[in-house]
Amino acid sequence: MNPSIIGQMAVSGALMGLVYALIAYGFQLTYATSKSINFGQGELVMVSAFFSLTLTNLGLPYWAMIPGGLLFGAMMGLVVERAGVRLALEQKGEGWILLTIIIGLFFFSAAENLWGRDDRPFPTPISADPIHVVGVDITRLELSVAVGVLAIMGAIELFKRRTLLGKAFEAVSADRDAAELMGISATRTVMLSYGLSGAVAALAGILVSPITTVGPTMASALILKAFSVAVVAGLDSGFGVVLVGMFLGALESLASFYLGSGWREAPGLVLLILALAVRPTGVFGKATIRKV
Amino acid sequence: MFRNLCYGSLLFAALGLHAGDTIKIALTGPFSGGSAPMGTSARDGSKLAIAEINAAGGIQVGGRKMKIEIIERDDEAKNERGALIAQELSAMGDLTGVIGTVNTGVCMAGDKHLQEKGITKIICPAAGSASMTQWAKAGVKDLSIFRFAAHDGIQAAMVVEEAINRKFTKVAVVYDSTNYGVSGRDDMLDQIKKQGNKLTVVAQEKFNIGDKDMTAQLLRAKSLGAQAILIWGIGPELAAVSNGMAKIGMKAPLIGGWTLSMSNFIDNAGKNGNGTLMPQTFIEEPITPKAKGFIEGFHKTFKVGRIPSPVAAAQGYDAVYLMAAAIKQAGSTDTRKVKEALEDLKEPVVGVIATWNHPYTKWDPADVTTHEAFRREQTVMGMVKDGRVVFGNDSDRERLRKSAVSATPAKVKGKAKSK
Amino acid sequence: MKRILLLRGAELIVFALLATIPLLVVNPYALGLLTLLAIYGILLIGLDVTVGYLGQVNLAHVAFLGLGAYTAGLVVTKLGLGMAPALLAAMAVGLLLGGLLALPALRLEGPQFALATLSFAALSTTALNELEALTGGAQGLSLSRPPVFGHALTPPLFYWLCMALLAVVWMLMRNLLASQWGRAFEALRDSPIATDAMGVGTYRHKVAAFALGSGLGGLAGGLYAFNFQYLQPQSFVYDLMIILLLGVVLGGRKSLWGAFVGASVIVLLPNLLSNRLLFQVFSGLGFAMALAAGLRGLVKKTTRPFQALAPVVAMGLLVVGGFFVENTEDWRKAIFALMLFSVVVGLPEGLMGFLAIFLAKLFRVPHAPLPEPSDIEAILPPRAVDGAPLLVLEDLKRHFGGVKAVDGLSMTIKSGSIHGLIGPNGSGKSTVVNVISGLYPPSAGRVLLRGTPLPSGSLFRVSRSGVARTFQNLQLFGELTALENVMVALRGVYRSPLPLVLLGLARSEERQAQADALCLLGRVGLKDQALTRARDLTYGAQRFLEVARALARKPDLLILDEPAAGLAHPDVVQLIEIIKRVHKRGISILLIEHHMDVVSELCDVVTVLDGGKVIAEGPPDEVKRHPKVVEAYLGQPPQTDTPGEPSPQPA
Repeated sequence: MNPSIIGQMAVSGALMGLVYALIAYGFQLTYATSKSINFGQGELVMVSAFFSLTLTNLGLPYWAMIPGGLLFGAMMGLVVERAGVRLALEQKGEGWILLTIIIGLFFFSAAENLWGRDDRPFPTPISADPIHVVGVDITRLELSVAVGVLAIMGAIELFKRRTLLGKAFEAVSADRDAAELMGISATRTVMLSYGLSGAVAALAGILVSPITTVGPTMASALILKAFSVAVVAGLDSGFGVVLVGMFLGALESLASFYLGSGWREAPGLVLLILALAVRPTGVFGKATIRKV
Repeated sequence: MFRNLCYGSLLFAALGLHAGDTIKIALTGPFSGGSAPMGTSARDGSKLAIAEINAAGGIQVGGRKMKIEIIERDDEAKNERGALIAQELSAMGDLTGVIGTVNTGVCMAGDKHLQEKGITKIICPAAGSASMTQWAKAGVKDLSIFRFAAHDGIQAAMVVEEAINRKFTKVAVVYDSTNYGVSGRDDMLDQIKKQGNKLTVVAQEKFNIGDKDMTAQLLRAKSLGAQAILIWGIGPELAAVSNGMAKIGMKAPLIGGWTLSMSNFIDNAGKNGNGTLMPQTFIEEPITPKAKGFIEGFHKTFKVGRIPSPVAAAQGYDAVYLMAAAIKQAGSTDTRKVKEALEDLKEPVVGVIATWNHPYTKWDPADVTTHEAFRREQTVMGMVKDGRVVFGNDSDRERLRKSAVSATPAKVKGKAKSK
Repeated sequence: MKRILLLRGAELIVFALLATIPLLVVNPYALGLLTLLAIYGILLIGLDVTVGYLGQVNLAHVAFLGLGAYTAGLVVTKLGLGMAPALLAAMAVGLLLGGLLALPALRLEGPQFALATLSFAALSTTALNELEALTGGAQGLSLSRPPVFGHALTPPLFYWLCMALLAVVWMLMRNLLASQWGRAFEALRDSPIATDAMGVGTYRHKVAAFALGSGLGGLAGGLYAFNFQYLQPQSFVYDLMIILLLGVVLGGRKSLWGAFVGASVIVLLPNLLSNRLLFQVFSGLGFAMALAAGLRGLVKKTTRPFQALAPVVAMGLLVVGGFFVENTEDWRKAIFALMLFSVVVGLPEGLMGFLAIFLAKLFRVPHAPLPEPSDIEAILPPRAVDGAPLLVLEDLKRHFGGVKAVDGLSMTIKSGSIHGLIGPNGSGKSTVVNVISGLYPPSAGRVLLRGTPLPSGSLFRVSRSGVARTFQNLQLFGELTALENVMVALRGVYRSPLPLVLLGLARSEERQAQADALCLLGRVGLKDQALTRARDLTYGAQRFLEVARALARKPDLLILDEPAAGLAHPDVVQLIEIIKRVHKRGISILLIEHHMDVVSELCDVVTVLDGGKVIAEGPPDEVKRHPKVVEAYLGQPPQTDTPGEPSPQPA
């Protein structure tokens, strides 16, 4: 088959995969500090996108809207932490799984009623016209997604390494008990991680909305893929999600082309089960030695 | 005692609070989730009509005027819930009729319960062929299920016809992986055969609900030389196809089912959607005073700038008027009598889509069109132009305007006529 | 007796009531709901095996429902067979594929397990959708109920069939889950490592549990197919899975009643909420209950403020929202979410967990009486002690990357001895234990038990060879009682084949196991706490329980990994007593310990490790004065010829 077609599909798929990676990164942030993830992360993406759309409709320019959207996402992240996660963590239970799902369900229903059930376009100043790069068509919109994803991940990683607060974050991730003994509040750090994760979800929503449109169900397909990427890469893999996300996206695109579009997801799913069977902690995750 | 308890706790809904002084009509459909834009549009169209009727004092039933009471049920586009709702409705006892359902699967799972009890239902706007053909296949003699939507058979015929008229020879068939898409694909392939195999299908491509990157499917179609894309799917994914075509520089028109007129396609495809063609029963253009009143009424009542799915809304609206006419003619709220009246409506019903003149006749399992209101004549090709659906062919506008004012030709069917 | 009467009585009454409903009510809607309730009851009992007992988030259950439904549908439509073969085939498909899926998912836990099962579910939906020639794809599969013995199955008959199957499943599962199988499932959840180390075999139990749950999913799927008579692949997706999961947790995990209550909630609640009046009644009642429970919890300080207040706020929101919202049907999902939120936060043990405590108090349900303890002579007959080499380590090595944790260790444990193994922190003691007991395979060298090599790298097989161990970091089955902890590990008691267990014909061996376990608990002084959950025991008692549990393996060699770590002095004294008593039965012991008092008092021989190598070996008193030992502990050679005792470092 024509190499430029393969290239086109690989690139298109991989760019979509970057969005999976960004949402997956949001999973990582909370998993690092609290060993919990927000199963309603997709709804967080969705409500943040709707909120950003409302800001835009109120007349806010695109670049001014972004911080507003991120702030809203962070706040929603904190709501999830307070209402769904903290109690379960205090009780060392797994209630957070259900509670985050339930809160997601509530967000979904609320969004349907507040913003409507219809999918709506998300205006952006970035042009959707394609540009040609060595025989491959890419839209500026897709490029903006790539840039945005890498920028926020880079910024958060820098924050973790260079600031005091970030170091506290790393400390709690490494050893919660030891960090607490050193006077770091684990609860606050978990809050921070949920806030960041919410902001990341909001950015994912803002970046992807011009492509996918904004609607209550916009993230339901994304979120399962993002979860796969997070786990296959390893829930502590850092930038590993980027590689796995791009790989999965490209694989889906190619599978769709060669196997028929109905089987698009099948190779990814089979690989995923195999990858987990071989490396339970993820491809880029830290292997653990069973200790007793 | 126990029986009472059961009724009391489980079936409060079934018993209702007041009996006898209202006409109970159930509106069902997906009011949440992915199909909600269609479900809520149809429901709100129906509600608008009911509000108008009630404001005018209700329907003359026998000697007195009765108002319509709405029973609303969200089936979430889930077959399982659809079946339970149908059971609930069929157990109510004093229900006059049901209007609704968007998803063909929900019809397949639920309607048998209504049919068993002889509850009159007007399916609106589910268009999948199977929801009516299942009764023909089962050889049912007496059917209480009607449809008020341009079924896929008509639509597919028009889509294929349009492609042939535009002198295309190679087309790609693209569809979503749901019941709706797959059955649309079958109808289109069937029509291509029926219309003399003038089109070669170079690719059959599928996508899932929620897919946003259609590059692979489109590249295949493009590399195999498709000149047009015949498409069957729902809103946002259709827009993704349209945008994907622009991205890879594929210049072929999209021709497909009526869902291409939904705002979630038009808005999201933007200028990439221009030139897209789809069969329409109603176009949100105030061509008649009735249409103007309906559109303005809808915008005002439900506080929207544009109807999410004008087709579904208009059909929901007209379906209520058909039901109301049948109730009036039957002079009863008894669902069986209403069914009989629907099969033999004496007076034309003025709706927003058309003036309906004897739309249904006595059910004949050999001919499903006996319970289908729409014929080819009420359907036109719509085209997307700058964010609006306009008439694809100007001659249609005139034709529709005329048919809306004068009545549709009465449906005349052998035996039914004599009845 | 009263207990049996109450518990079985409740079951009987409920089933009898449910069975008579079609005679009293001719409402198809009520019947439809109750039929679905029975089907979901079976489905959730199956899901509870993996979610409740195995403690894993299983997202594949909905796929087995779908696969079962399609199997039954295809058997009827394509093969033209009747209902019984269709249901059997549906169940078989569930069992088979469930077992198969368990294989790659075996090593996974937590999010990884969830993802693997989720992927399986997505794959099976894709397959059902794509194999159009077989399944009809997205257009669905229509089928009709085949007649049974020439009779068409009317809705009431079909309802009775579903109820009867639920009752059968209920009975069989009750028997199974109350047996060693159920305990093994729970043990697996709490500590897979200890489960293996107690010779129970995580592998086959995990596969069995998963296959069993999936088989029930398949059976429920078969009934689902005949209930709706129309199938579509999209019905069996993530959305439904989440609802099922909520059902299990809401009802209460690890409980048949819980599964049933959960099924009622998820089947009835969404359908009833459509009615505005019922919604207002529910929200009003819910608010009142939340308020009462919240206030009570706050006053008595039994609940955290958040736990007491959040349900009140959520239910309050419902009540207030009820007045403002025009159309409650539009908000149905949010209403459902708020109700679920209140229950999950307010009643973390689920509705049934809460009710069980409440009802047990109300009716004063006594605990089943325990049998008289068995005679110790019967369980642990004294063994002949011949002083021959029991366990021999030959040049044993275990490296982790560049770290040589054990580097060429040779030592011999004589039959009937208490052999001490000491050394400073990081000297490789724990690694030695982990290699012997099979947690790690050795990098080089051999481990021989009575001259034959021990299986390497398998806790399970080593345990079956007659070596039992305790754990330095406790690995008890926290959710099980002390008695059950010991019963899980009991060797040579459970002989009944699975069918007998399912039919409840293995009660006698269950009594035997209880008696034996009680005897062993008596040996460590925990007889009175037999019915306390392990995680509620005091720290010392937990340590002793580990010893009792290891004894239940009736081992030739007992490895005690720092049993005195963290114990207070009186407990240490008791521990020494316990070990002496065990030793008297002729069991050889390898004792890893920091407390020199314990080592001096108990051990015949002591081996001292440092840097993964033996630096000294001999009787405790000799070893204590060995210069190398003193150096290893104090970090310098002895200055005088009367060095003090090496300072024991707390673990």
